Amino acid sequence: MSGNPSTTSAGDASVDRGRGATLRLNASMIIGAILILLIVVLALVSFVWTPYGPSAVDPAARLQASSPEHPFGTDKFGRDTLTWIMYGARITLMVGIVAVGIAVLIGTPIGIIAAVFAQYPWGAWLSAVIMRANDILLAFPALLLAIVFAAVYQPGTGPAMVAVGIAAIPGFARVARSGTMQVLGSEYVRAAKASNRSAPAIAIVHVLPNIAGMVIVQASVAFAISVLAEAGLSFLGLGTQAPVPSWGRMLQESQQFLSTQPLLALWPGLFIALAVLGFNLLGDGLRDRFDPKMEARGNG
Amino acid sequence: MITYVANRAIQFVLALIVASVVVFALMSILPGNAAQVALGTNATPDAVAALEAQYGLDQPPLIRYFNWVVGMLSGDFGTSYVTEAAITPVIVGSVQVTAILVIAAIVLAIVIAVPLGTFAALEQRNWIGVTISALSQIGIAVPNFLAAIILVIIFSLTLGWFPSQGWMAPVEGLGGFLIRLVLPVVSLALVQAAILTRYVRSAVLDVMREDYIRTARAKGLTRAKALFIHGLRNAAIPVITVAGVQLATLLVGAVIIEQIFVIPGIGSELVRAVANRDLVTVQGIVMVLVFLVLIINLIVDVLYPIVDPRIRNAS
Amino acid sequence: MKTPRVSSWMAAVVASSLFLAGCSAGASDSGEQAKKDSMTIAFTAEPVNLDFTSTSGIAIPEALMENVYESLVRVDGEGEIQPGLAEDWDVSEDRKTYTFHLQKGVKFSNGADLTSEDVKFSYERVQNDWKNALKSKMDVVDSIATPDDLTVKISLKKPSNTWLFNMTSLVGAVFDAEGTDDLANEAIGTGPFAIEKFSRGQSIDFAARDDYWGEKPAVSKVQFKYFKDAVSASNALKSGEIDVVSNLQAPELAGEFQSSDYQIISGTTNGEVVLSMNNAKGIFKDKKAREAVMHAIDRKAVLDTAWAGYGELIGSMVPPTDPYYEDLTKVWDYDPAKAKDLVREAGIEGETFAFTVPNLPYAKAISEIVSAQLAEVGLKADIETQEFPAVWLDKTFTEHKFDMSVINHAEPRDILTVFSNDYYIGYDDSKTKKIAEKADTGTEEEYVSGMKEIAKTITEDAASDFLFLFPNLVIAKSDVAGIPANRVSDSFRIADLSWN
Repeated sequence: MSGNPSTTSAGDASVDRGRGATLRLNASMIIGAILILLIVVLALVSFVWTPYGPSAVDPAARLQASSPEHPFGTDKFGRDTLTWIMYGARITLMVGIVAVGIAVLIGTPIGIIAAVFAQYPWGAWLSAVIMRANDILLAFPALLLAIVFAAVYQPGTGPAMVAVGIAAIPGFARVARSGTMQVLGSEYVRAAKASNRSAPAIAIVHVLPNIAGMVIVQASVAFAISVLAEAGLSFLGLGTQAPVPSWGRMLQESQQFLSTQPLLALWPGLFIALAVLGFNLLGDGLRDRFDPKMEARGNG
Repeated sequence: MITYVANRAIQFVLALIVASVVVFALMSILPGNAAQVALGTNATPDAVAALEAQYGLDQPPLIRYFNWVVGMLSGDFGTSYVTEAAITPVIVGSVQVTAILVIAAIVLAIVIAVPLGTFAALEQRNWIGVTISALSQIGIAVPNFLAAIILVIIFSLTLGWFPSQGWMAPVEGLGGFLIRLVLPVVSLALVQAAILTRYVRSAVLDVMREDYIRTARAKGLTRAKALFIHGLRNAAIPVITVAGVQLATLLVGAVIIEQIFVIPGIGSELVRAVANRDLVTVQGIVMVLVFLVLIINLIVDVLYPIVDPRIRNAS
Repeated sequence: MKTPRVSSWMAAVVASSLFLAGCSAGASDSGEQAKKDSMTIAFTAEPVNLDFTSTSGIAIPEALMENVYESLVRVDGEGEIQPGLAEDWDVSEDRKTYTFHLQKGVKFSNGADLTSEDVKFSYERVQNDWKNALKSKMDVVDSIATPDDLTVKISLKKPSNTWLFNMTSLVGAVFDAEGTDDLANEAIGTGPFAIEKFSRGQSIDFAARDDYWGEKPAVSKVQFKYFKDAVSASNALKSGEIDVVSNLQAPELAGEFQSSDYQIISGTTNGEVVLSMNNAKGIFKDKKAREAVMHAIDRKAVLDTAWAGYGELIGSMVPPTDPYYEDLTKVWDYDPAKAKDLVREAGIEGETFAFTVPNLPYAKAISEIVSAQLAEVGLKADIETQEFPAVWLDKTFTEHKFDMSVINHAEPRDILTVFSNDYYIGYDDSKTKKIAEKADTGTEEEYVSGMKEIAKTITEDAASDFLFLFPNLVIAKSDVAGIPANRVSDSFRIADLSWN
């Protein structure tokens, strides 16, 4: 946020939330960051070390409870659950990064362009068309897209990521558009305009740094949604496929063992919840910093 | 106001047309030959070709699209070549089921979230408010299918209060209908209530800072009284928006809950139709879902100016 | 600062949830009284329509054969052929003409009388109008004559040992000559039950017929309820909402029913779970590569982990209920060292191959352990999960785009079909074809010994790995009687069910 007066983005919109609120939201940011860090570390460590191989089956040691050899127990093939949770963290993060990446890289420019076009007399209708197209996309929820994609391209991590990403585009476009409009309407941008600088130049110099915070907030929320979506799709059999470790699939397959080996359901369920919680808390904390009023659309 | 609504309605129709083209195009690239699936393992290529002709799959796409749209406009989604039955009753029936499920869930979510969220806002600085906020954070983080599994184990398998699965239409028996509705609706509503609580809380917090509330309080009203008399209407806007989005998302999002509880809703019909390569049915269901989402968005848009005079004047 | 209004809201929330709970207490278990005359059975595969003449798959015959439709003959739990609509039959000296004498007083569910014309109509319809690929089972029929109303004379092109047995399957179903207009939605047969209600994708309600020609079933109302998810079915049984789970697709759950309230039946089926290899092209065209797989797979471990130990090791394409069954489980022993040597000899060490897996519970579970075992000997499986039936039928079955797959071949006596030249496995049947022809036209002894030879040849050729025989795993309330242990035909016969 360098270069600009630090108050500009928050200047007219920020509201005094009181000291207590600020402290608590900072706390939520810290807790969120710690949870995410935990999952990132699990995923990174899995590249260099895991207790066992992901496909190291051991029929003799199937369905074991926690033990020094298998801290999280084993599944029906005798595979180590901790190893699977570590590998699963990779998939969870990958789905989130790709899905959110798609949404950010497509949605944000769409929103900015729509807002910039709206500045010109000739561009107003184009801006309207872009945003209406965006609204139509809103009519295709992630799950619907994923079900259709799974039918077209085989169920798998790839189609699931893309479906979740596409469904998240409208949210980013709206955030970027309203943020851009706000910036373009501010005093100093009007001043810049008066000095005959072109709209694209203004967008790059003033808009991007100022909406970055809001986009990051949206990204954090979208990340949480993508974790849930991947879990749900894998639960339906439309997400990550065997033998790739995925928390959603682990949870689905553990259903058979709820009364005999509930640990099998506990671990994936817990880590899904922790990941979602982490990204939501981080998003909350960031939101307080960047923008207290977010549009709700596209977050559901 | 009238131009605003008319404007929205036109946009709605345009969106519907574009969406129908998208849906049709998507379906045309589905792999898996419907005729081959129907005929099974040892069918000859000749038999497959004959059946394709019978289904009209050999006609040009433009004509197929046109026939499809004309049929839909007259309320006829065609005949499935997998089930050899009319599709319209299937869609109408399953949409009703999902609508009951989802609306009940959203109503329950609102009933839970509005008081909780308001309370959390009013008590934001003490432990009650913090507890509610924390609980809602955890509620959002729990996938609804996990909630469903846990609810079934507790309330069905252990306590035996509710059936673990199944569906009964209200006309077949109101008691049987209600008792089967409880667990799926609660599974869906818990997560939505957690999300909604947070929006209600922040909406109420925003309203509380408005000048008119400050004025009312200066006149000696308690915070709660000031809020109820002057503020709720304004706090309703973001809540309506979020509830609208939730309703739209749940139409398909309920599919996991439908599968766990063996409920014949629209999402389950979609998954089944995709698995059977019942393309005509898939096409019809996707179109109906898109239509419903667009309708919900339209209603939410029209509700804004009714609820909030400021928006009415601005448009 | 306390706000009374808000607490009253909360009270309302609590009250409304109590109201819902109150409703439940009153409404539960209303079905308890009617129980002894009705039964609800859980199934997995749901019929998309009621017409097996045009739609393939096991779901439709499972529900309709022997319950709604009947054939001239049926097969019992031991695999023996028994009279059905024909009270007896004579076979001519040259074994090419079968004369069936029909039961008297048989009525279709629409009130029409069964005559020999209906039989002739039905069987000619198989040859002319059926779209189901199984129609080829009727190819051997040359002509059908109807000397009188209760006699049907069927002439074959050549003697066939398999034809009469095939007649016990769905191709033998007898339809009313006037009742085939809307088979997809309306099933009119001679069986003990008629369909009262067909809720597509959810359930079929059967009601016992008053005018059935044979013995009246003990239970007059039976519902087949379809559960995609085995856990939901098991939960429904636990909470008493259903009475029988016909074939549990999550065998790990069976252990939870080990109490006096339930019975666990684990019998045989006709389903051989085959780890199929593409014999015609790719990495497994080389017999050495296939032999390596045979030695690399620990079938006992596969059965124990993937299917909780339910099922039987068979070692060939023949279930123990068939007359030509032979224990061939010793032909290929689990020997990873030998498998590694063979991999090296075949020159395929570390090579990746396409393992297409239908998205069915058993297939997915098997693929995980099998790929791990193959990795041990240096073979890398590239697993691709394919939707079943649509995508698997398209890519693997029809286009043969696979190196390895796994599927339960559930048809009765399907060894010759599965291991023929043009089937997806691409087995070279030049040796077995001649034996098969001789066996089918020969005496019964020649048939049995010929078929044994074929089964052994296929196993020794390492054509595919026969992992295990899919179990008939039925869980039922302990007071349900009449559930056959073995599933030897496609149908799930409900007329024999009763309450103790």
